[in-house]
Amino acid sequence: MTMYSTLDRYRMMVRMRCFEQACQQGVVSGEIHGEMHVGIGQEAIAAGMWGALRDDDAVVSTHRPHLHGIAKGVPLRPMLAEIYERETGLCRGRGGHMHLFDTAHNFSTTGIVGSSLPVATGYAYAAWLEGRDSVAVGVLGDGAANIGAFHECLNIAAAWKLPLVALVENNLYAISVPVAHVLATPSIAERAAAYNAWGKKVDGTDVDIVAEAFAEAVAHARSGKGPALLEATCYRFSGHYEGDYDVYRTSEEKERMQREHDPLTLTRRKLLERGEAHEADLAAIEQEARNEIAGILAEVRAAALPDPSGALDGVFVEQTWPLIPGAEPAPATGGGR
Amino acid sequence: MSNVTQIRGLNISQCIGIALEQEMSRDERVVVLGEDVGALGGVFGTTRRLQRLFGDRRVRDTPISEMAFTGMGVGLAMAGWRPVVEIMFADFIGVCLEQIYNAMAKNHYMSGGTVRIPMVLKTAGGCIGSAAQHSQCLWGTLAHLPGMKVVAPWTPYDHKGLMAAAVESDDPVVYIEHKSLMRHKAESFPIGFEVPEERYTVPIGQAQVVRRGGDLTLATISATVGHSMTAAEALAGEGIDVEVIDLRSVVPLDAETVAASVARTGRLLVVDEDYLSFGLSGEVVTRVMELLGPSALKAVKRHAVPDVPIPAALTLEKVVVPSVASISGAIRAIARAS
Repeated sequence: MTMYSTLDRYRMMVRMRCFEQACQQGVVSGEIHGEMHVGIGQEAIAAGMWGALRDDDAVVSTHRPHLHGIAKGVPLRPMLAEIYERETGLCRGRGGHMHLFDTAHNFSTTGIVGSSLPVATGYAYAAWLEGRDSVAVGVLGDGAANIGAFHECLNIAAAWKLPLVALVENNLYAISVPVAHVLATPSIAERAAAYNAWGKKVDGTDVDIVAEAFAEAVAHARSGKGPALLEATCYRFSGHYEGDYDVYRTSEEKERMQREHDPLTLTRRKLLERGEAHEADLAAIEQEARNEIAGILAEVRAAALPDPSGALDGVFVEQTWPLIPGAEPAPATGGGR
Repeated sequence: MSNVTQIRGLNISQCIGIALEQEMSRDERVVVLGEDVGALGGVFGTTRRLQRLFGDRRVRDTPISEMAFTGMGVGLAMAGWRPVVEIMFADFIGVCLEQIYNAMAKNHYMSGGTVRIPMVLKTAGGCIGSAAQHSQCLWGTLAHLPGMKVVAPWTPYDHKGLMAAAVESDDPVVYIEHKSLMRHKAESFPIGFEVPEERYTVPIGQAQVVRRGGDLTLATISATVGHSMTAAEALAGEGIDVEVIDLRSVVPLDAETVAASVARTGRLLVVDEDYLSFGLSGEVVTRVMELLGPSALKAVKRHAVPDVPIPAALTLEKVVVPSVASISGAIRAIARAS
């Protein structure tokens, strides 16, 4: 485990924001279609996860997954290529932005709200069966915390002492519905008590606080004491998806939150106030991140889209029959383990 | 098969249990999760002995949390295990269909082939007088959703061999048992009653002609294969010679074997204990017509559960679920049709 400095985490957050902006560009240009959910405004949570996990730990993320992938060590180029639906993407353009799979880093996602925790609980059970001290992190939002599977998984993980970390990104809205309108309790984290689990709610816009709390949650799960439930509050600066009219939040609220709760601004100010960086250092970091992501984006845009002839390949590992009756069977993919 | 040791006195649930036992012995990454699969050995007895043999870590009684433990199967599979997840009744699949059709079935494709989900979803379907929420087969529903193989055996031999094949498969396989067959003794079946003790697999996706005949082709699956065999034997006395095909697998669907038979008989009857519309019966008929051309068929008929919830009263259930009598009627009708 690496406990990165605030400056390191600032650099990471800047890269994350540039990455998300590169995704937004693809929506504007029409290169990316369908729903696109970016985590601009929520970077401190993923950047706080960064360093606490090992390759053998698993992360199962959500429909807003890019930043968790970056934190887990998923290489940026194939991830952006997948988001841009290229053959060079993590999933050869079959998954797209909500369905990212990187087996080398035990990172996967689901586009279905609330479906990450059951899969993460499976990873936790696998680690427990094997006697490994790996943990599994299921990322979810405040909205997903209200699905029945949340209860099922926390109960199972606690009853069986599984190394599960449920990381709730509470961005205050389940699409348009304010969390306070649909939550029976002031916090989600306090539900931990019902499961004899570790629970904590933190300010998810303070990257150092998140890093400390996430490390604590992971240490708890890793020690064999059962699940940890960490709730980190934040605010998404974009709509639920790119193109969302976002009429459910007042512009006054959005402007105030961006002004007062932007994790990048907050961290930048903290670094300057503490004398841990000078303005010129930070400007250099920001320029470097812009250059890095611009370079990756240019390469991704130059990469080929999947060959249409492969659309029916790989539905099954052992696909010995044609999916269209009478056609030639598609070749087996042979990939995976 | 003369030098193969046969096991005597088995019932169907034991055939499944022995297959699971052999798979768990040969591959320590096979785990079984589900409600009452451990101490009880499954409400239909198919996992009896397994927890005693392999311990409560690999044979795990879960809470009544289908969403969680079905998704756990997906996570276990992605972590390199080979989970067998039991959903007690096929009807309960609605509770966890999300994980089945969006994750279990799609992750291999969505990952560009980098992820494999060698998972068996084992469940019990079929009518035993248990009304609308405990009687459905649902193989048509599952087969409609891409990415999972779907099998439903009839003979004792196939119950053991298809379970072995399902666990061995690197793809997700839905294995649907028929509740009414569970306690049937192997010896009571007209074919496939010899069950070798040694491990073997039955290839997924191959139909089997279980009765030769020249007048018409009857294709069906699971328990209605037995009813159809009984009906065919009785109708032989009336001079109707029925060829019966046990499809064994819904995905992949072996339409070629059916078409080869229909090419000779010219008449096709599909019997299905699942719902009539948008399901297996329509699919078999369509594929056979695509393979042979419509002019190859002198007569075609489907006999399935009309699109009605299964009623509780047996007087009503009898009307909607294919039986020996109703299948006989359907055979007579299609045999007479010109």
